[in-house]
Amino acid sequence: MRNDAPSRVELLQGTLDLLILRTLLAGPAHGHAIAKHIQRTSEDLLQVETGSLYPALHRLEAKGWIAASWELSSKGKRARFYRLTTAGRRQHAAEQSKWDAFARAMALILNPADQEAP
Amino acid sequence: MRRWLGRLRNAVRPGRLGRDLERELRFHVAERIEELRDAGMSAEDAARVARRQFGNYTAQVERTRDMDIAEGLDATLRNVRLSLRALAKSPGFSMTVVLTLALGIGANSAVFSAINAVLLRPLPFPNSDRIVSVAQMQAKTPQPHIAPARLEDWNRMNHTFQAISGYYTQDDSELSGDLPEKLTHALVAPRFLEVWGIAPQIGRDFSPEEEHYGGPNAVLISDRYWRRRFGASPDAIGNTLRLGQTSYTVIGVMPASMAFVQRNVDLWSVSAPDFPYARSRDLTWFLGVGRLKAGVTPAQARADLATVQAALARQYPKPDAEIRAGIEPLKERTVGGVRESLWVVFGSVTLLLLIACTNIAALLLSRAASRQHEIAVRFSLGASRASVAAQLVTEVFLLALAGAGVGLGLAAAAARVFQVLAKDLPRVEEIGLDWRIVAYSLICAVAATLACGLVPAIAGTRRSLAGSLASAGRSQVSGRRPAQFVLVGVQVALAVTLLAGAGLLLRSFQALGRVAGGFDADHVLTFRISASWGETGDLKRSGQTVKRILEAVAAVPGVESSAATFLLPGVPGTFPVELSVAEGRAESEPKIVAESRIGSAGLFATMRIPLLAGEMCPQESNTPGMMVNRLFANAYFGGAGAIGKHLGQPSSPYFPTAVVRGIVGDERERGLDHEPVPAIYYCGLIMQPGLYFLARTHGNPMALGESVRRKLHEIEPGRSVYEISPLTAHLSDAFAENRLRTVLLTFFALTAIALASVGLYGTLSYQVNVRQREVGLRLALGALRAQIVRQFLAQGMRVSLAGCAAGLGLAGAFTKVLAGMLFGVSPWDAITMTGVIALVMAVSIAASLLPAARAARVEPMQVLREE
Repeated sequence: MRNDAPSRVELLQGTLDLLILRTLLAGPAHGHAIAKHIQRTSEDLLQVETGSLYPALHRLEAKGWIAASWELSSKGKRARFYRLTTAGRRQHAAEQSKWDAFARAMALILNPADQEAP
Repeated sequence: MRRWLGRLRNAVRPGRLGRDLERELRFHVAERIEELRDAGMSAEDAARVARRQFGNYTAQVERTRDMDIAEGLDATLRNVRLSLRALAKSPGFSMTVVLTLALGIGANSAVFSAINAVLLRPLPFPNSDRIVSVAQMQAKTPQPHIAPARLEDWNRMNHTFQAISGYYTQDDSELSGDLPEKLTHALVAPRFLEVWGIAPQIGRDFSPEEEHYGGPNAVLISDRYWRRRFGASPDAIGNTLRLGQTSYTVIGVMPASMAFVQRNVDLWSVSAPDFPYARSRDLTWFLGVGRLKAGVTPAQARADLATVQAALARQYPKPDAEIRAGIEPLKERTVGGVRESLWVVFGSVTLLLLIACTNIAALLLSRAASRQHEIAVRFSLGASRASVAAQLVTEVFLLALAGAGVGLGLAAAAARVFQVLAKDLPRVEEIGLDWRIVAYSLICAVAATLACGLVPAIAGTRRSLAGSLASAGRSQVSGRRPAQFVLVGVQVALAVTLLAGAGLLLRSFQALGRVAGGFDADHVLTFRISASWGETGDLKRSGQTVKRILEAVAAVPGVESSAATFLLPGVPGTFPVELSVAEGRAESEPKIVAESRIGSAGLFATMRIPLLAGEMCPQESNTPGMMVNRLFANAYFGGAGAIGKHLGQPSSPYFPTAVVRGIVGDERERGLDHEPVPAIYYCGLIMQPGLYFLARTHGNPMALGESVRRKLHEIEPGRSVYEISPLTAHLSDAFAENRLRTVLLTFFALTAIALASVGLYGTLSYQVNVRQREVGLRLALGALRAQIVRQFLAQGMRVSLAGCAAGLGLAGAFTKVLAGMLFGVSPWDAITMTGVIALVMAVSIAASLLPAARAARVEPMQVLREE
């Protein structure tokens, strides 16, 4: 079905939440903007599917990490904007550090030589 | 909380959520299209690509919505799912708990359904708290009946009542069918329906003309009679009923709830206050009921009627100066007598529920211990203590819910049990399931969950995880678990309390059965014959009627003798009078007060009450005569001196002065549970409502019931014969309430001891399992099997002995409450207490012996090899 670049990578399970939280750290955004932001900042490597995005947004909302409200978009249309809550900020910090640790561990295993250098 | 509500709304009303979601997703697609067009696509292509990228639209809406709902319910559902899985893994345990709780909650809800219907619910009338019973009171006679003229005065002159009315009943025969049918007929004063605040369910109330003397004869019929006789057809209105010489037109049908004041009334018609006979201020017949105005208290009404009566006393000093008015809320009057009994039963059944909960708590403690490994694994996987505890409590709650469900079934069946065991319990027909019972069962389930689930959940999750994991599966030597034995001890103590109460009630019942009433109740048939108050106008004729009936009954083959009386011997009832002696009596001597009875001359022969001095009343006599009992003769005339004295009742116009003919043996007239008192028996009766006829028979009295009925139909075709039953049935019915609480308490007590012994057995068995290794080692090192048995047995005995000691203390408090209900046995009856302790110890030994024997059978080699 997809016709885009072959270099696309699959999202690791559980990372979408972190990506959303990270995106919202910059300020409130609606779903489409979030998806676009993730795609752009990952240099099109990551493409968020709507089929995962909206369930994830609603799940995060139910957990109380993000809050939503209907507001006017920059083009004057009504859109559902999401923003981080305090709990969400904390959660982001926790996920971020978990991810960092995980990424470091992965890196150590996969590229042991790189790590010895510095 | 707010979040929860929001989720609930989402789950219930997906519409609003769906619309929001659609709008959100549509916005996404629109943005995407715009983006693609900015990149240079045509509008059509952009729309197509955006849609395709978006995928299945509906599926996405659904997935997202599911996420909203699922996230919130997730934790709860996960707990429920885990719990169900855990419970399904141990079906035996689950069944035991559900059944124990079903019994506890069911019995509790059943008794609560009776308390709810009888004591808590208001009477089934609008503003029924304003309905009161009104009585005429005078110093000398306890009769509450009100003279019709006075009732009208009270109604006219008071300021606190909306209306005062009254009624009296008689048993009439309806003669328009093939056979006379006995109907209970209430004759009511005007304003009767106004007092109750109800209207006929079809038809109309009495019209003003019908409430006057000489007006048309109209009758309201009961719902029950309407269904039975007219098949619940609206055409019943306008039909004619024939009662004796009079025809009545049916004008309406009472609602089914009209079961007051007497529950068996079939017909209501008017007793007109302007009836010439009703003008007398001395003749009393109405039992009064009144409806207070809104906001008036019974005390205010009492004061008001006292003022009214004081005014009447000035106007008619002769009878009215001695008369006062009494007021009591009708509900209190209806159910006040059984309140204590019901609460005692409720208290007992609550103890039973407590035992059930304790039992389950002990079971859960054992189970938690054997699940330590599972719990430790969950801890090590990162579960918080709260979530594990929550899951354990959820398990108990599911079981309690199932138990409450089964229990509700029990409670629904209880209404029938109450109707069989205590058909005379007031308002028994109102017992049934309603939302309050369901709510009560649910509260019981929650309370049971907290009572028996919380402690094990906390205790079960306390263990440090490392220790548990290390020793997982290995049975520690002697984990003593005092908590479980304390719980078993509590069960034994509560069971002892209930057993002591039940034992005392049983002993009272036994004592009651052994009482010599002073008469012989066996082989006596009783029945009633319809009659109306109108017949009492012709004394001679109605006296002849009784005589003719008694002769006819005595002539039936198999009947030894016959008699008639107002109050059956041995059936509780009291009718004290004060007497004067025509021959004179010194002022210094005590007043003569006696229980009075009226009977036909044959009463003493029929009841086998011996004649001690003088002679029996002759069958026919022109001078009124009476018999007195020995207590009466001894108390007031020093024995035989009583014979020949003329005794009169200065306060009652009904009774003539009568000569004492003879002295008879004492009998327990006021009920088998009361000592005999001085009593007098007027000889001679006239036909009137309320009479009982007695026949002493050679064989089984009920075998003659049909012959007697046929014989009476020959000589009195216009009367119906009903309530044919042996005298012994009346005696046992008189103690129906007593029997109800005895039967129930005994049932609860036996259940309690059964539960306690299961608890003891279960806990000891668990101990034996846990300590198998220790026992195996000891046996291997040379311990004797008998020692092992003795050790476990002693452990069980220690627990139940401690329980017994505590139980006796509790029983002391419990039996103090029961003291008023006991007969012929003291609250500290040694036989009962010894019996209870013996029973409990015997059951405990049996319950401990099995696990102890199992412990002794442990094979040392096998146990050691398993380690």
